[in-house]
Amino acid sequence: MSVICKDVKMAFKTAAGSVSVLKGVDFVAPAGMLTMLVGPSGCGKTTLISLIAGLLRGASGSMQVFGHEVSSMSASMLVPYRLKNIGFIFQQYNLLAGLTASENVAVPLVASGFDWPSALAKGKALLDTLGLGAHANKLPSQLSGGQQQRVAIARALVHSPKLLLCDEPTAALDGQAGQAVMTLLRDLAVAEDRAAIVVTHDPRVYSFADRVVHMEDGLISKVESVSSQKHPVDPHSTSH
Amino acid sequence: MNLVAFKILLHDKAKYVALVLGVSFATLLISQQSAIFHSLMHASTRDILEANQADIWVMKSSVETLDQGYPIAELSVNRVRSVPGVQWAVPYYQSTAQLRTEDGRMKLVQVIGIDDLSMVGAPQEMLIGTLDDFDQPDAIVMDIAGYTNIFPGVAPQVGAIVEIGQRRAVVVGICYIGASWSGMPRVYTRRSLGVSMARETLNPVTYVLARAASEHSPEEVAKQITKATGLKARTRAEFMDDTRTWILKYSGIAENFGITILMGVVIGVAIVGQTFYMFSVENLKQFATLKAIGINNWVILRMIMTQALFVSTIGYCLGIGAANLFFAMTSTQLSGGLRGMFMHPLIFVGSGIFIVLVTLLACVVSVRKVLTVDPAVVFRG
Repeated sequence: MSVICKDVKMAFKTAAGSVSVLKGVDFVAPAGMLTMLVGPSGCGKTTLISLIAGLLRGASGSMQVFGHEVSSMSASMLVPYRLKNIGFIFQQYNLLAGLTASENVAVPLVASGFDWPSALAKGKALLDTLGLGAHANKLPSQLSGGQQQRVAIARALVHSPKLLLCDEPTAALDGQAGQAVMTLLRDLAVAEDRAAIVVTHDPRVYSFADRVVHMEDGLISKVESVSSQKHPVDPHSTSH
Repeated sequence: MNLVAFKILLHDKAKYVALVLGVSFATLLISQQSAIFHSLMHASTRDILEANQADIWVMKSSVETLDQGYPIAELSVNRVRSVPGVQWAVPYYQSTAQLRTEDGRMKLVQVIGIDDLSMVGAPQEMLIGTLDDFDQPDAIVMDIAGYTNIFPGVAPQVGAIVEIGQRRAVVVGICYIGASWSGMPRVYTRRSLGVSMARETLNPVTYVLARAASEHSPEEVAKQITKATGLKARTRAEFMDDTRTWILKYSGIAENFGITILMGVVIGVAIVGQTFYMFSVENLKQFATLKAIGINNWVILRMIMTQALFVSTIGYCLGIGAANLFFAMTSTQLSGGLRGMFMHPLIFVGSGIFIVLVTLLACVVSVRKVLTVDPAVVFRG
């Protein structure tokens, strides 16, 4: 089970006419691997993960995420799909400013139907695992960038999603903090039944990937296996 | 998720305070002005309220409002008494006259002449003296606000001698009367004396006050009086309505207060709307994040409504509290234009409902913005 995209095409309408962003993308992110999606700005990386996440609609082709055909889902179906299956990590962390670290982590659980006390307890336990137990009751503004991103990782993982989508998770961090965050992602996010896709511009973190998928002008241009000894490349990903 | 909504709301304390103050200011303006308006309307029927023993007022057919009473023949009293269903009927005299103090100061006063025998229409709350004092020679009872107006700086006391319509009068009592529409000092006296003060000799009656026998309704008896005498007969409630309607129609008070109350609404919507809009726009990314995580629009809508209702409840409580404090300080005054003014329970409820609606209206634009935000913005740095 994994993320399998076949012949995904997407165009945006602009004043100047229709702009084709994805021109028939075939992409695979296998479970148990950390897949990095890299490429120049405007090549379609963010559009692709937005489509996989169900945040954008209107693409043609097939997008299967752990058995769910995302491209055929209605807008109302996509909301619970995201809540159950996707964990997000953003470049700017996007933590809720009025909530403490543990409360931020608890949000996906509360949205899934957990009561606050048990959601908070789970959130706090996960923060302890990430070495942030002492900061559980602090507001995001009281944490460093690296600590905030670790809280965001905890929020993304707390409800055990099948797919983790990370958008430039190290872009706002210095080298050391970026390495720490990637180490954490590598250790926690990659699991047998979970796929992780990291969009990045930062070549210093490529070494954390199992696979690096290069995009260019709306198409997959190259797929590299970084640690192929441990994680053989899925043959589907070679078609591009 | 309501807790998340509260935390987002309370996190930016400056904006939260601005929102609450906006709502409380609008509440204060709307409820206080509505209460003053209502109290003024209430005050416009002051004499009808005071003469609460009578349930029917009989007058010349051309009378449209309480203060417009024209003299009618004294014989009218007996004609009313003769109508079947009338338990009793007494004359009532109302006029304005010039009062002059011993040191020569002049004031225009409202003279109320009550029936010499029954004392129907006499003030209900005597502060100094009793109703028996009306029997003294040249006796008048003055309302305390009028006394303070006529004798500034003098402690209320009986014994002052004045001249009303070139007739000697002695203050034998001081009473409390709520604010009236005209604001003139009020002088109560026996009708026989009041008529001579106003130099009315031909038709010394302004109204006939009557009461329907217990087995008859006042409405029915009023119709019988009109039929039998040709005079206009109105029940107490009808005459109060007539008076208020006349004031609303000819005084412009409704427009004035309406504008002020409308300002409260506009200020409320503008302040709350703008602040809430800015608040929502600044938190748009947070709402987008929640939507991206998988929280649906209904939950987001409920969160925003919870924030709005919380703000409007706190703001309403503060505003209505301030309005009540205002009336608590002014209504117990014995003199002054705001004496006796009060807030009707319906204004409490009405302004509360209104404020909630104003706040929800102010949220509509913000809600639209939040509900239509594309959750994909979370991926745009």
